[in-house]
Amino acid sequence: MNNTKVASSAPKRRRAASLDKRKAKAGWVFVAPFVIGFILIYLPIIVDSIKFSFCEIQTIINPMGGSGGYSLTFVGLENYKAALFEDADYVKTLISGIQQLILEVPSIIIFSLFIAVLLNDKIAGRAAFRAILFVPVILSTGLIESIDASNNLMEFMDASEGGINDGTGQSTAAQLSAAIDLEALFANMKIGTELVQYVASAVDSISDIVSRSGVQILIFLAGLQSISPAIYESCRMDGATTWETFWKITFPMISPMILVNAVYTIIDAFTSESNQVMQLIDSVYGQPGGNVLSAAMSWMYFLVVILILAAVSGIMSAFVFYQRRD
Amino acid sequence: MNSQPTIKKETKNKIRVEFDRTPLKDRLKAKFGNMSFYTDIVWYLFRFIILLGVSYIVLYPFFTKIAASFMSPDDFIDVTVMLIPKYPSLDQYKYIFLENEYVKAFFNTLSLSLISAILQTFVSCLVGYGLAKFKFKGNALVMGAVILTMVVPHGTVYLSMFMEFRYFDLFKLFGLLDFAGYEGIIKALTGNTIQLTGTFWPMVILSITGLAFKNGLYVFMMRQFFRGVPDELEESAYIDGSGTFRTFLQIIIPLSVPMMITIFLFAFSWQWTDDFYTEMFMSSNRSLVLMPDIVAVPKSLETSYAGTELYNSAINNTCGLMIIMPLVIMYLFCQRYLVQGIERSGIVG
Repeated sequence: MNNTKVASSAPKRRRAASLDKRKAKAGWVFVAPFVIGFILIYLPIIVDSIKFSFCEIQTIINPMGGSGGYSLTFVGLENYKAALFEDADYVKTLISGIQQLILEVPSIIIFSLFIAVLLNDKIAGRAAFRAILFVPVILSTGLIESIDASNNLMEFMDASEGGINDGTGQSTAAQLSAAIDLEALFANMKIGTELVQYVASAVDSISDIVSRSGVQILIFLAGLQSISPAIYESCRMDGATTWETFWKITFPMISPMILVNAVYTIIDAFTSESNQVMQLIDSVYGQPGGNVLSAAMSWMYFLVVILILAAVSGIMSAFVFYQRRD
Repeated sequence: MNSQPTIKKETKNKIRVEFDRTPLKDRLKAKFGNMSFYTDIVWYLFRFIILLGVSYIVLYPFFTKIAASFMSPDDFIDVTVMLIPKYPSLDQYKYIFLENEYVKAFFNTLSLSLISAILQTFVSCLVGYGLAKFKFKGNALVMGAVILTMVVPHGTVYLSMFMEFRYFDLFKLFGLLDFAGYEGIIKALTGNTIQLTGTFWPMVILSITGLAFKNGLYVFMMRQFFRGVPDELEESAYIDGSGTFRTFLQIIIPLSVPMMITIFLFAFSWQWTDDFYTEMFMSSNRSLVLMPDIVAVPKSLETSYAGTELYNSAINNTCGLMIIMPLVIMYLFCQRYLVQGIERSGIVG
């Protein structure tokens, strides 16, 4: 009797692992595809890429085919030195690219918040507007983007619209803002020329900004719709104007989304094909012996952007307001 | 004013009551005679006009492309031609369709996009669920890895990703840690690595492992969606004796269909217009015609006159239009799901 009891209790105890433990195991099973792929494929790629950036590469042409198609020699920091000190454009492009990034990100975020607020209220054709604003996200990627990059059709259309082909190839928006002459108009306001120039340049690149803020608008819309209408109601009861409500209620409540969008916009901006640093890296890749140099360049670029991301999210998360919802 | 309602007629479940109505004049005054009514109208018009303008900016490039796609060579040297062609022709569509192997490219891309979109949707659903609902050691680490795949730009891994699939082998990682030249398991067994470029396999492998284009974003969206699904649903299923995977298949999957449609649409259309991976992996195989390969000037349309450059650019844009045409049709039918899905993903909190 006793023996059987002991024997039967042992497997029982093993089977009755705690619920937490079993759930943890199930969790690993769910994420297994990604984890296996990450370890077996992505990590080698990353390690490989880092290794390439420290090496010199020679392709061995093997008439028999098969493997062993390239050989690597370790050259230490040579590629990084070459990128920083020998390549004429890299540092210059990197700095101007980062400047552009810092200028673009706020205008995209402000614009998409503005549009999201406009779309959040009831308006005729709201569904149609939302569908239209989301078109660039689906249609202006990859192939279409690279076709557009070598496109001079727009200029032709714009020029023929004006009737005079002046050959400057300015877009409609740029012509429009040139006609109004924003800078002259606001030059007498005491807000500083830099700000005016910044706004004017943002207006000039409005079509670029619009086509890149589709996802951000949707993220903001989702955030706006999660704010309880009761808060707005009580605000109106207390006599707050729409303007006050926006700054005291909407803005703090949406601030986590501003952080998310800032991170998303930075990632999106610096990995897009139209980014000038990425273009430089691509063109270096095509040069003879340039593939290792481009790997070194892009790792340095990656580090810089990671630093920017960390700085931005560090600074912004100090101001972000989280509502406790327990 | 007598505000006492008088009951006119009363039946079993209906009642008709008559109030003393405020005179029309007072009602109109109350409605139109205050400032807030007019500021509301102005604000409404302002919003409407801004949205209209922004929509115009979004759609304008497509207008020009569509207009140019119907133009004949003569239209490009005629300065009086604006958006509407003077000598309309369907030549561009006709020759791209006939000479650029559009049909072949269409079906090849369709099968590639369907395979990878279905795989990506399912895998990101699995991984997102695992990350959202299970607490295990390393959960945050896996999430960090997902974000890492999102942040590393393509250009950085271009060379090594190509090499990975050109000389494909498993367990290469151990070999990379030293420079001595350890060989992967497949090479150890068969004496050769496998060349996967020129086939669909690189995309299939990347999709199954959730590493393909923007898959990190899908996993992130799925995770946020599942975090919004109340735990009570699963708990009651567990109490009824259902296991984790059965719960996932029978409770969670049906629940997340709209979100999965969203992810599927993203994955499908981004794979459809993708030229980065397609060119990297499949350009070595000439017989495998995909969408990026049809962007070229057809032989019958090659011209040499003052407007050649513009005409060729218009042809390229027409190729672009023909590529996205199936997507536009799909988008028109599914945009409801797309917008709802992202809103419901509640990336909030």
